[in-house]
Amino acid sequence: MSEGAAPAPVLTVTALRAYYQTRLFGIDRDVRAVDNVTLHVNANEIYGLAGESSCGKTTLIKTIAGAIRPPLKVQGGSVEFNFHGRRVSLYDKNAPDLADIRWRHLSYIMQGSMSVLNPLRRVRNSFVDFAFRHIHKPMAEFLDTVRAHLLRLHLQPEVLDAYPHELSGGMRQRVAIALATVCRPEFIIADEPTTALDVIVQKGVLTMIREVQREIGSSLIFVTHDMAVHANLCDRLGVMYAGRLVEEGPTAEILREPRHPYTAHLIASLPRIGDVAPKKALEGTPPSLADPPLGCRFHPRCPLAMDICKRENPQMEWVGPVHRVACFAAQPGKRQ
Amino acid sequence: MTAPLLELSDVAKVYSIGGALFGHRLRAVDGISFEVGRDGPEIFAIIGESGSGKTTLARMILNTAQPSAGKILFRGADLAGMRDRLGFMRQVQPIFQNPFEAFNPLKRVDRYLYMTARRFAGAATQAEAGDHADRALRKVGLSLAEIRGRFPHELSGGQLQRVAIARALIASPALIVADEPVSMVDASLRMSIVNLFKTLRDDLGVSIVYITHDLATAYYISDRIVIMRKGRAVEAGPARAILDNPQHPYSIELKNAVLSPDAAARLYGNRPIME
Ligand SMILES: Nc1ncnc2c1ncn2[C@@H]1O[C@H](COP(=O)(O)OP(=O)(O)OP(=O)(O)O)[C@@H](O)[C@H]1O
Ligand SMILES: Nc1ncnc2c1ncn2[C@@H]1O[C@H](COP(=O)(O)OP(=O)(O)O)[C@@H](O)[C@H]1O
Ligand code: SF4
Ligand SMILES: [Mg+2]
Ligand SMILES: [Mg+2]
Repeated sequence: MSEGAAPAPVLTVTALRAYYQTRLFGIDRDVRAVDNVTLHVNANEIYGLAGESSCGKTTLIKTIAGAIRPPLKVQGGSVEFNFHGRRVSLYDKNAPDLADIRWRHLSYIMQGSMSVLNPLRRVRNSFVDFAFRHIHKPMAEFLDTVRAHLLRLHLQPEVLDAYPHELSGGMRQRVAIALATVCRPEFIIADEPTTALDVIVQKGVLTMIREVQREIGSSLIFVTHDMAVHANLCDRLGVMYAGRLVEEGPTAEILREPRHPYTAHLIASLPRIGDVAPKKALEGTPPSLADPPLGCRFHPRCPLAMDICKRENPQMEWVGPVHRVACFAAQPGKRQ
Repeated sequence: MTAPLLELSDVAKVYSIGGALFGHRLRAVDGISFEVGRDGPEIFAIIGESGSGKTTLARMILNTAQPSAGKILFRGADLAGMRDRLGFMRQVQPIFQNPFEAFNPLKRVDRYLYMTARRFAGAATQAEAGDHADRALRKVGLSLAEIRGRFPHELSGGQLQRVAIARALIASPALIVADEPVSMVDASLRMSIVNLFKTLRDDLGVSIVYITHDLATAYYISDRIVIMRKGRAVEAGPARAILDNPQHPYSIELKNAVLSPDAAARLYGNRPIME
């Protein structure tokens, strides 16, 4: 991976650990939702984050977006952005004021997106509150920009007059996406932004995201459990399992030739129209992140598990120029 | 001939949006008719455009919103004149679209289960309520031990949604109205939840109104289907026949828009492209 003058990544996450510290019936325990994650996102790249429900995708994304609230706590590691030479390290001693970079440089579309919209104010006001001062246009022109942007998301301009509760779930979700993209930020973090949309609208939204991303060469982390969306949108894909990144590489390569048994399962279990027989499910359930299994966290469910998997934690190792995997069975020389 | 479990005739719902003063009126649901469970328990899917009135329809079936026109009958009785509210709620249970909105963030999630067990399943003691809760949770792949004492924000979307389904099961309902119950969960969990719906229908005789954007699971579990757009039904009938061979242009467009996971890997080398 040493190409000499390769441009610096826009985001570098190193050995990041973020735990929920909970106290239940007098017992303290840590939910290790993000455990030692290292990744980077390049300029002009869409990075997809995949993995089953509750594996820690949202937690990782919150940590990257600087949206940390107790009981979530960053235990170690770093998150560093590079906005055209302006370095911002989120968990440094002299951490920056996030308000400074929100919306314009970095925008975050939260899962269940409702929360950015003030329930007591019309949608129009949310746009004015968050986006107006970043767009540098007179109000009338600004609203024209907003209306045009909404149309790309298959939303009629009338939604601006509505209160959030008057919109359907999918309409609210699109309003949140519009809000996060109208300022054309350099880095967009989107957590399951299309899960509540019909497939036609979903396609429109994904196309819009892709277009905005191309027009300004921004970077994007796109979180979804839907592998079909990843397949159609993302340049690179990271797969999480139980708080850890277990595989990462070019999307097409991973879909064609997954190296981690868990990734292979994810891809094999994709439902398709026309299925009438149940797909084979994985044995067992995802581990509790308060008490994850030793060694490889996937070993209790892994068809390839070996002795070493129960004792040692496989590290992410390169298996191709841009392809990493954390599995003993996929790493030559590690089998025993 | 007995009455079907649920019967909608020419149901409409008009909203005014944006406040009384500047508002405009909108026919969110515009003349919908269908029956569920005439010939025994069935899974009835509603799919269609975002904003086409599916959730509004669900609210009217649950009797939490009233139709502006038309009639909804449950076991032959008009919901408009319904007196035994509790009895109705025991028989018709909801599962909502967004689990983050369905639970009060300040309330521990197991409370909901205990409350439902006391209210609808006749649990007299805390221990009994716990038993009911645990049994229901196990049907959805969780257990009481895993969620006891937790607040909604301590669970992931998928976990919360399974709790919501477990809660609905405690009452042993005849009809479950599930509004996008699987949109927040991954493919394998999704399959296990819809398989659970099948079991409910086949073994417990529960009918299910299944609202979804996921055509694959609609195909996989539904007996009949209606496709909605702008408040109206554009096509309705046996699920597999319709999804195999849609006739209405909107239904065809919908089916064609389903993203194929295979496309990228096969066609576009390392840089997949949305078309
Ligand atoms: N409480 C309300 N007041 C006013 N209008 C409403 C209200 N609830 C819904 N609407 C409007 O009714 C229409 C249908 O909304 P509904 O929530 O039923 O759609 P849906 O089919 O469930 O969409 P989605 O797939 O996005 O969940 C939308 O145009 C919405 O704006
Ligand atoms: N506020 C919280 N307190 C304690 N545990 C939490 C909290 N939020 C999430 N968790 C736990 O962290 C894990 C990861 O959750 P999440 O990041 O939401 O997963 P995903 O987005 O992949 O579905 C889950 O086990 C969940 O129960
Ligand atoms: S390290 Fe072992 S248990 Fe883990 S995925 Fe690889 S083979 Fe399976
Ligand atoms: Mg999530
Ligand atoms: Mg809805």
